[in-house]
Amino acid sequence: MLATELAPGFLTRTCSFSTARLDSMRNRIRDGAHRIYRSAESPDVLPECEAEGLGWPRRVARAFRRVCEAETPVVLPGERILFTRTTPGIPPLYRDGEWKTLTGGSTLHELGPISNICADWGFVLGQGLLERRRVAMETASRPGHDERALEFLACAIETIDAVLALVDRYAETARKMGLTGLAAILEKVPGRPPETFHEALQALRILHAMVWLEGHYHVGLGRFDQYMWPYLEGDLESGRITLAGAEELLAEFFISLNKDSDLYPGVQQGDNGQTIMLGGVRHDGSPAVNELTAMAIRVALYTNMIDPKINLRISADTDLSLLGLAGELTRNGLGFPQYSNDEVVIPALVKHGYDLEDARDYTVAACWEFIIPGKGMEVVNTGAVSLPLAADKAIRQGLSADVGFEAILGRAADNIRERVFELADKYRRLLLPPAPYYSVLMEGCLENGRDLSRGLKYNNFGLHAAASANAADALAAVKRFVFDERSVTADELLEALDGNFENHESLRRRLTEDAPKVGNDEEADQLMVRLFEFVAEACEAIEDNGRGGKMRPGTGSAMYYIWLARGEPGDAAPPIGATAEGRKRGEFFSANLAPSPNAAIRGPIGVLQAFSRIDYGRICNGGPITMELSDLSFRDEDSIAKCALLVRTFAQLGCQQLQLNALNAETLLDAKRHPELHRNLIVRVWGWSGYFCELAPEYQDHVVARQLYGL
Amino acid sequence: MTSGVIHEIREFTTHDGPGVRTTVFLKGCPLRCAWCHNPEGLSPEPQTMRTARGERTVGRRYTAEQVAAILNRQAAILRSNGGGVTFSGGEPLLQAPFVEDIIGRLSNVHVVLDTSGYATESRFRRVAGMSQLVYFDLKLVDREAHIRYTGADNAPILANLRALSSMDVPFVIRVPLVPGVTDTGANLRAIAGIAGSLAGLVRVDLLPYHRAAGGKYAGLGMEFLPSWNEAQPANADVEPFLAAAVPVSVASGDIRLAREPERI
Ligand code: SF4
Repeated sequence: MLATELAPGFLTRTCSFSTARLDSMRNRIRDGAHRIYRSAESPDVLPECEAEGLGWPRRVARAFRRVCEAETPVVLPGERILFTRTTPGIPPLYRDGEWKTLTGGSTLHELGPISNICADWGFVLGQGLLERRRVAMETASRPGHDERALEFLACAIETIDAVLALVDRYAETARKMGLTGLAAILEKVPGRPPETFHEALQALRILHAMVWLEGHYHVGLGRFDQYMWPYLEGDLESGRITLAGAEELLAEFFISLNKDSDLYPGVQQGDNGQTIMLGGVRHDGSPAVNELTAMAIRVALYTNMIDPKINLRISADTDLSLLGLAGELTRNGLGFPQYSNDEVVIPALVKHGYDLEDARDYTVAACWEFIIPGKGMEVVNTGAVSLPLAADKAIRQGLSADVGFEAILGRAADNIRERVFELADKYRRLLLPPAPYYSVLMEGCLENGRDLSRGLKYNNFGLHAAASANAADALAAVKRFVFDERSVTADELLEALDGNFENHESLRRRLTEDAPKVGNDEEADQLMVRLFEFVAEACEAIEDNGRGGKMRPGTGSAMYYIWLARGEPGDAAPPIGATAEGRKRGEFFSANLAPSPNAAIRGPIGVLQAFSRIDYGRICNGGPITMELSDLSFRDEDSIAKCALLVRTFAQLGCQQLQLNALNAETLLDAKRHPELHRNLIVRVWGWSGYFCELAPEYQDHVVARQLYGL
Repeated sequence: MTSGVIHEIREFTTHDGPGVRTTVFLKGCPLRCAWCHNPEGLSPEPQTMRTARGERTVGRRYTAEQVAAILNRQAAILRSNGGGVTFSGGEPLLQAPFVEDIIGRLSNVHVVLDTSGYATESRFRRVAGMSQLVYFDLKLVDREAHIRYTGADNAPILANLRALSSMDVPFVIRVPLVPGVTDTGANLRAIAGIAGSLAGLVRVDLLPYHRAAGGKYAGLGMEFLPSWNEAQPANADVEPFLAAAVPVSVASGDIRLAREPERI
């Protein structure tokens, strides 16, 4: 899937700029030298909001403006893409009591503010903020808008003005420092549309960083190589920039995304949703790969930092050499890129009501859920359905009640439906706070006078059915031993489970070693497929999620592989005990789509075959097949070429999403013992990567204990 | 129908032959190389191995039909990625009839035989003849040294190597480079001398030894007593091969160690 007119050598693996300047910039950012500019506190906006009796949208806009005003322009040594955040947090808009009254009876998603969606960056860059402002004014001047719309538009304009005022101060600072080139760029963008690659990167840096200042998080960057390419292409054609010059700017942009990440909210540091999507197809279905696709991978190979997180859209026809280049990135150990298969994802989105053109424009949310930039106000992760819990309850109740295996499956289906409906009911009461600035970056908000929180073209929800392999293995073990072979009695199994396998070690070993497992046995695979069918049926039974959308089922697990096994932080006891696949209480489940941690698996082929059996036309919310390959699998050219073949096999088999990690178990163990020697060791955790030494111990342990394939 | 004991079937073994491959590790080996990285592959019977995560069984008995079914399910994938199946060990020829039975049941799959060459000539010829490529381990040419370090005479190995050269099956000679043992100038020259005279040889692979499997030995209740200096880098000298006009390559990284990454 390569366009024909690509320059020769565009798949080169090493950057051609001399890296000394950026090496030191990257190290300074890693060391946090820029954080000395941070103020201790963010402005307190509560008194003025109360004195003026402002409503919610006005408060959001006011706080945004005050935070922008409180930002101090910072120009770090040698920097060419400016913006360093100096305010530490988002000010509260209400006092506790009032907040409770305002939100009582409603469901707030996670922390509250809109998150985990993607703006239409190309659209906003193409217009510039001044044009967005003009659109808002024009809409406001048209008759027929209610108070709410007018208030929204006024708020949006207030946020645009706040951004432009902050940028003016940056321009002024640059000019005072004699940086006339940078000053000129900042006098132009993001108010007016950029015309060069440098201008576009600078504009994007500001527009994107501002979203965080409004309190949002998991702020995606979308199809970077698509919306940025016209600027780079123009520069290259006119000779304004060399390839090396472009790489260097891009590297600086990537580094800049790592400046403020310690201020971003997330379960663990690194879980911040700064993803970019590369490759895929254009609106008309033609291949979208361009020179920037490869350049972004090459530059990420150089920067080797946790942001941005790179995704690559592929198909069975994707050029192997592009996959080889991507494999180089995997070898770095960051867990990028994550692959998604256009031939599976696009038709599934169409089947779920997305227009074909929009479906072809998909990107991913923070981790893996498929969303449409600028057109989706979707809440893709409303929660998890614990498949092990659904299966375990069914097994225990079914065996006690002496019912047959199909009846146990029926109970599992009931348990799943119950949990799906519970999530759907909870999110029918969803309350999304106003988001005037984020609305500026979406299609239709300013045009229609509707805040983003009131919805966009697509308003679906998503959930994830987590730890499917553990659940299927538990059912498969019961079917084989209790029902088919009758070699274990129901009572014996129940007693062993209740006692956490104390005094039942030989049974536990049989369950672990001799039972069918997802990834190496078709019977277990099929049970996993059945479980996903139950999930799909339950989701499809939800006609309307309360916002005119559907509930999309997915295969991710995020932190649930730990929470579902051990309880959420603060829980007194794990929600589930020992399970019939031979897992003791408290042991982890597998993350996303992966065999159970204790299953002896032959390797990646059986795993891909197993997960290719899922009907991704129905299970379309995303969540990758996750595989750890020994880093020896990336040792030389030949091995990397084989990894490229493996990725192509993933696509050929009709799987949906894939995430490969190169892992060296010994390095990880050493990093646990001597964190000081492995400060820059990066590992993939779930939909994101983080510095190994900065992870909480239970996450470290899980990374170390994952299935390792190879050589 | 035959059955046999398999230590492990492992998919996507990137260093066991061309393309995407699945390797069948047969359990049991007649040799006792002092540097062996697969102590759990030596005994021909299933064993219990202690690991940091508790005990697990190493090795399982399969019928040829079962193994062929597993492999045939993925044959199309292996084929379309220029790969196939590799039989390795231990020493696969120790269970030659079982291996033949499996190969006979495979549907159009490229087969690599990875062998120490220690087997009767008839067994060797039969299985090699059913393979499309042979990886032939050659450790020491000196007979005394071979007995000392592997516990067995190398005469059958050298005879099988010559037999292989007379067959129509391409082959690669693989030399594990153990510091001061197999990487000596004299041994490498002797191997180059033999290699230079063999028809059908594709190339010689030198596989530098890396420190390895001490922990696994203990887990099996065995002792690992290297008589050489493990810290000393192997002498991956390609000169003798170039002089004999033998194509040669040096593998980077832990080839043998990687066979069995310790599950933690
Ligand atoms: S031939 Fe291979 S498996 Fe057998 S003892 Fe020697 S090194 Fe170990």
